[in-house]
Amino acid sequence: MQIQNSLKLVRRVSLVAATALLISPLVPSAVVAQSTAGSNQWLHVRVVSADSGGETVCVNVPLALAEKVLPAINKNQLHNGKIKFDKFDTMDADGVDLHAILDAVRNSKDGEFVTVNGTDEDVRVAKQDGFLLVHVTEKSGRMHHHGKDLKNHDEKNSSEKESAEAGAHAVSHVEVKVPMKVVDALFSAGKDELDIVAGLRALAAQGDTELVSVKDEENTVRVWVDSKNTPTQTGATR
Amino acid sequence: MIMLAKVALGFAGTLAVTSAYTFREGVMRVDVDEYRDGGTHVHLWLPAAAVPMVMDAVPRRHFIEAAHQAKEWMPVARIAIRELAKLPDSTLVEVQDGHEHVLISTQNGAIKIDVTDPEETVHVLCPLATIEDVSSIIERSVASGDPGA
Repeated sequence: MQIQNSLKLVRRVSLVAATALLISPLVPSAVVAQSTAGSNQWLHVRVVSADSGGETVCVNVPLALAEKVLPAINKNQLHNGKIKFDKFDTMDADGVDLHAILDAVRNSKDGEFVTVNGTDEDVRVAKQDGFLLVHVTEKSGRMHHHGKDLKNHDEKNSSEKESAEAGAHAVSHVEVKVPMKVVDALFSAGKDELDIVAGLRALAAQGDTELVSVKDEENTVRVWVDSKNTPTQTGATR
Repeated sequence: MIMLAKVALGFAGTLAVTSAYTFREGVMRVDVDEYRDGGTHVHLWLPAAAVPMVMDAVPRRHFIEAAHQAKEWMPVARIAIRELAKLPDSTLVEVQDGHEHVLISTQNGAIKIDVTDPEETVHVLCPLATIEDVSSIIERSVASGDPGA
């Protein structure tokens, strides 16, 4: 009697195992793959046109995908996730040791390094709270000055005064905010090379970050990193 | 009577397993609707698993030139597809221009392209596994270098 029961049990187990084996290839591989997703940071680019059509373009790129894909591209100056510049000829910076400049910036205290107040545009390069900031304001149209990232009241007053003096006619305002860790990673490859993949890794580790903001009469451009996979959830408009 | 029931059960079981196997990679879907007189209306639903089989049957010479041109981008495409398959349902590109709307997204392990326009709508859904299979076939055909294979 016990033997019969045991045989029944073996038969049932065999049946279940056979069924499982039969069904296993039918389970879509994507379902399995989704559960093993890695880094979930996304690079978002949003362009909103101010014209009557109101064109909006949103591009969302998972950083993990970019990290994997870039090393596979070997075309022109991009190889193994690194961009090689021939002595920075294309950047018209021949003879300039960018690594030395970067070291100097890294080791210096927060503050403004470059301030250019021209007739056509104002340029400001600064380091603040671990970020490298570049602000460019063109002055040939209406002014779009955000006045953020200024450290103290005097600076803000000064900036507002300059804006007023410029006739509040800036046509575009560009803000670039790059974490110093990302800058370090970009220049970690060696001389005359930018390690894009290392930069992306550093960016992913940085968390939610606003990178670029451009605002002019025609377009508003925003580039940022966060962990959301749709732009609508992020409050994309500033 | 019992024999008939057994045959019916076997037939139904075989049909169910065959259908499940055929549709295991999902469905490749193409819908095109042109909203004008004599406009085209295409609605194509194809088992994704059938696409590589069909491609295997096509003589390689028919796509060997395209394969050579795409050769250097094949590893990139393969990696991109694998990484896309790991994503949850996501919007990759969205363009809105007046009444025109373009959306490229991933949905349940497939890439989805939706174009909505006052004059036409196009919807394409292709499982990423199918794209990977197709790119593998193209890669193999380049590697073998046998146009008649």
